Amino acid sequence: MTLAPDTFAFVADLVRRRSAIQLEPGKEYLVESRLLPLARTAGLLDVDSYVRGIRAAPHPTTLEAVVEALTTNETSWFRDALPFRALVDHVVPEMLTATTSGMFAPQLRIWSAACSSGQEPYSIAMALADVLAPSRMKITATDLSDQMLERGRSGRYSQLEINRGLPAPMLVKHFTRAGADWEIAQPLRSAVTFQRHNLLDAPPVGGPFDVVFLRNVLIYFDLATKRDVLRRVQQAMRPGGFLLLGAAETTIGVDDGWERVSVGRSSVYRLAPRRAA
Amino acid sequence: MRALVIDDSRTMRRIIVGVLTALGFETVEAADGRQALDVLEQGIEVDLACIDWNMPVMNGLEFVVAVRERKDWRGVTLMMVTTESEHGQIVRALAAGAHEYMIKPFTPDAVKEKLQLLGLVEIEELV
Amino acid sequence: MSMQVDTTAFAGTDPVYVIAEEVFSSMIDGEPGFLRHWDGDPPPIVDAMHAWVDVHGATNGRVLLSTERSTADDLARALLQMGPTEPVSDEDFADALGEVANIVGGNVKALVPDPGVLTLPQVTHERPHTDPEALIYELPLDWRGSLVVIGLWRLL
Repeated sequence: MTLAPDTFAFVADLVRRRSAIQLEPGKEYLVESRLLPLARTAGLLDVDSYVRGIRAAPHPTTLEAVVEALTTNETSWFRDALPFRALVDHVVPEMLTATTSGMFAPQLRIWSAACSSGQEPYSIAMALADVLAPSRMKITATDLSDQMLERGRSGRYSQLEINRGLPAPMLVKHFTRAGADWEIAQPLRSAVTFQRHNLLDAPPVGGPFDVVFLRNVLIYFDLATKRDVLRRVQQAMRPGGFLLLGAAETTIGVDDGWERVSVGRSSVYRLAPRRAA
Repeated sequence: MRALVIDDSRTMRRIIVGVLTALGFETVEAADGRQALDVLEQGIEVDLACIDWNMPVMNGLEFVVAVRERKDWRGVTLMMVTTESEHGQIVRALAAGAHEYMIKPFTPDAVKEKLQLLGLVEIEELV
Repeated sequence: MSMQVDTTAFAGTDPVYVIAEEVFSSMIDGEPGFLRHWDGDPPPIVDAMHAWVDVHGATNGRVLLSTERSTADDLARALLQMGPTEPVSDEDFADALGEVANIVGGNVKALVPDPGVLTLPQVTHERPHTDPEALIYELPLDWRGSLVVIGLWRLL
């Protein structure tokens, strides 16, 4: 089996833009062997037709799956660390203050968009568990892939996944061994609801949200689509709510409905007060 | 930054040293807890110790206890790097004073992320 | 390691396979895809090397890894990040193979309800004595076309 040159060129370009990893010519076998399982899962016989399908209808979850398959990057817990610190140190205190004025009650509603295999929503739950009872958090985790959602719902992670960025005190506090895997504790699992959702559709149920994690998603879209997605996210949020983006992402120059707030070394975006409807 | 890599397996020491060197660490090696204490007692300043659990002479848990008893070694960050992977063992190590816990097998990325958690490796600068 | 290991529950999600896959993908190959179940009946291993760790505690058991000498050499080179033809010293060889057994064994130990203490790994040309009746579970694996067998034994 040989890979079509344009398939390789497309995958190499995607991986380079997303991970800074260069797939030199000659690595066709790697692309072939790594993507074949994804192609088979999608019901296709070869990688060329799989990639043709992706190019015809690109979607972040599929693109990320391709990148992950080629970079062997398991999703990390507390990815980039800083957004979770910003959540606990800045966003939650602001929200708790706002509670007195009628906002943020009785639960903090958070949307983890494009949540992949669930490390992000569970990291949010663990970070919040230090300052908030699980019954006061309602985390909606969405992804396009049923397979990813199923993994998230199971709450089970392999040893290699557990090693990725999860602080040991959090591990012993919130996980138990389950065979060769680890399983997240029930109170945190019940705080997270997984739901299939496409970012270009109407918002998921569970809102309006006080906080939205939309991390490493916008990078996959062109400007018009970024605008569209951000507009839909706005509609799913409470006025004054916070948006957390990936390290290489910003609303600036894309959508002016947000106020950038510096928190430590990172930034969060606050939804500007809504114009009178 | 200097790291003390404590493991009775020279293979494992070579792997860990390779990962740490790539992250900009200088490294010193020890084949058991006793040798590692000797390194510290010589006054060699160490920011991080990567500690195997099962070793001859003095095991990793005994080493952690010994280090935590000394005020002048408070600055050493202690990370277990071991195949011991039961929940109870991790609790024991943390209770004895270990700061982090890495279960073998691991990938270089996992080491980097643990060291970021510990503040020993910079988190990549954001926009 | 005891009769409490429910090997029938392994079907489909064999945790020993999962452990082996994780060890090989992360530390030996650096990427997944090179370790799979052995297809069909495994042939006898000629010129075998054996590496094992024992678990002592409420129950006693042994995690034994067996493979051909040439495969063991390749494993050691991969783990030590050496070139494909670079000679491996006896010391490096024994240490590397022992460490593979140690990592697999330590993770297998965590599967049992009341785990005990892990011994330091041993590596020999002679197969260590195990009672044929005491085999709990055996997993033949195909690593880059070569046979690697992981066995769990009860120690009497």
